[in-house]
Amino acid sequence: MRNPSLRIWLTLAPALLVTGVLFGASVFYAVAQSLGYLSIIGETRLSFAAYGNVINQATVAGRELWAALGFSLWVSGAATLLSATGALILAATLSGSATPPRRSTLLALNANLALPHLVWAIALLLLFSQSGLLARIAAALGLIDLPAEFPVLVRDRYGIGIIVHYVSKEIPFLALIVLAILRTQGNTYTAVAATLGAGPWVRLRRVTLPLVLPGLAAGALLVFAFIFSAYEVPALLGVSYPRALAVLALDYFLNPDLSRRAEGMAISLIMALVVVGVAGLGRVFGERE
Amino acid sequence: MPLPLRARIAALVLTLLIVLAACGAQPAATPAQSAATSDEAVPVTNALDLANWDSVVAAARGQTVNWYIWGGSESINRFVDDFYGVPLREQYGITLNRVPLADTVDAVNQVLSEKEAGVDPGAVDVIWINGENFLSLKQAEMLYPDWSRELPNAQYVDWDNPAIYLDFGEPVLGLESPWSSAQFQFIYDSARMEADELPRSYAELLEWAKANPGRFTYIAPGPGAFQGTRFVKGALFELSGGADQWLSFDQALWDEHAPQLWAYLNELKPYLWRAGETYPADENELHSLFANSEVDFSITQAIAGAGPLISEGLVPETARAFVFDDYMIGDFNYLAIAKNAPNKAAALVLANLILEPELQAAQILPENGFGLGYAIDVTRVTDAAQLAALNAAQAQLGAAATPAEDLAQSLVGDSAGEYQSLVEAGWRENVLIGE
Repeated sequence: MRNPSLRIWLTLAPALLVTGVLFGASVFYAVAQSLGYLSIIGETRLSFAAYGNVINQATVAGRELWAALGFSLWVSGAATLLSATGALILAATLSGSATPPRRSTLLALNANLALPHLVWAIALLLLFSQSGLLARIAAALGLIDLPAEFPVLVRDRYGIGIIVHYVSKEIPFLALIVLAILRTQGNTYTAVAATLGAGPWVRLRRVTLPLVLPGLAAGALLVFAFIFSAYEVPALLGVSYPRALAVLALDYFLNPDLSRRAEGMAISLIMALVVVGVAGLGRVFGERE
Repeated sequence: MPLPLRARIAALVLTLLIVLAACGAQPAATPAQSAATSDEAVPVTNALDLANWDSVVAAARGQTVNWYIWGGSESINRFVDDFYGVPLREQYGITLNRVPLADTVDAVNQVLSEKEAGVDPGAVDVIWINGENFLSLKQAEMLYPDWSRELPNAQYVDWDNPAIYLDFGEPVLGLESPWSSAQFQFIYDSARMEADELPRSYAELLEWAKANPGRFTYIAPGPGAFQGTRFVKGALFELSGGADQWLSFDQALWDEHAPQLWAYLNELKPYLWRAGETYPADENELHSLFANSEVDFSITQAIAGAGPLISEGLVPETARAFVFDDYMIGDFNYLAIAKNAPNKAAALVLANLILEPELQAAQILPENGFGLGYAIDVTRVTDAAQLAALNAAQAQLGAAATPAEDLAQSLVGDSAGEYQSLVEAGWRENVLIGE
């Protein structure tokens, strides 16, 4: 055990083994099914037909693919960007004040992590839908004549409800990451910058941002991958069309016509490719910095 | 201290491998353990003789029947436990294990995964099923064959009725036995509207929607939302001037009438709730829009009409069911037995029990919580007391139900199975997505 890298690999082995076996087997099955290997209906010929169908818009799944891809990219991109910005400002404000953030503030941020996405999405629906609490209050106060005149904020065509959901869930998550980084750095850099005459905006831009950027970028990538492949929130807060990629993929996977499963799996793997691609881009840009 | 560390890692890896190996072996063993009697049941199952019903009942004694059933309605769950669980235990010595599902497709996937993994006996005995889920399992050859017409109580079932021997156009053969019937109906709120204001055809519905923009919507057609598909098929029947021509598949007929169908639905679209930008995904979503007064109509399949929904508190007490004058699709739902079911004898006893005339009479009454119609043909029941119970139940449905003569007058069968995906995919493409 003189070789340190061998030692690292051996220490990692248990975890790698578990993820390798469980994750590897699922990916293997997904690839096999997307290539048309469906032993449940006795189909064992392999082909790229499913990929061809969805990319060339030959089937209904294909005709929705590009719209769904665009919708998913828009929703996850916008939500990630807004969450990262919000988290940075929140964390900088919390750690910038003279007193350290209060226990209750940290507790509130942590409590948000424990709240399941599904619960939060339903809460948003009950609050913001056109027969929701706010619409009723507005109607009762005479601001609008009928609850149905309330603006469409959830189940809207542009995914605003989904973005609001993820921004409100992910700002606290990313803020905790940024706060953890800032705590290890201490206040000295910002204090020095302040004595040299830097205002709050310059301090955020020139001192805090470079300090936390690697951690924040990694966290943001995690958030992007999560939102891009999430099912339940787009299913609950989305419209019938355009649908998120994950919703489309599951719909085809569960199609009673078992041969449609290959298309569902192909869409899932296209999703995985997009996430890997975004992660790769992030890395390239990260190294250039 | 390199040695202890190495030893510790080795021990850890070893433990992990053992755990993994144990996990790998587990799935094959679990279902067999869960079905305590499967060891005796397997040889008996192979020898089940439906012609000798007493031998089936004897083989079923002491078994546990695992019934995978949609569990989204508390009142249906209670009905199943009280009306089937109790007699199974008391008369047949069978334990009913009701396995509630969020969606019947979960049971289908369970059976399909078992097939893929080669698990036999599996975990599933009976599934409450119809339509596309039946088609999936039939396609995968995972249904126990040739039993439903051999049950003693199959004598009450009209197996010559196409609505029974075809399930969404797919031949039932002997693969499933009917439990109850349903028919497409609308629901309105008698506190908001008078009965004589109601539209009675698709043409009148369009006029109504134009006069009341934003007050109507339907469920998005698609797999798992067959009510929406039925709404669209009904429009197809009316526009093409008849339902019978759709009983067998004819591509030319579809090509001729599909453009009319999309034209009708697109004319309706701007007058829908949210101008047709989105549609409710399922019945519950539509019920809540209706209950919240966002729209004026909901949709149900229950013969007891709005009754069961009122008792669940999903719609106001003034809700009433109604039908158009024609083209309201009716169908049956079934019990199927998995091919790898561990307790087939008990499953057969359950499917037979469900067709008992007394229990059929109990299932349509809204206060019992089920509210779907008869699977049996009342005219085939000869016992006077049973016949009286069936007729009395029918008479007790109350104001929330559609009058029986309206239902009968408007009843049509579903179209051939091939149209299902044509309607669903065509709707997404031509109506939802549009130009």
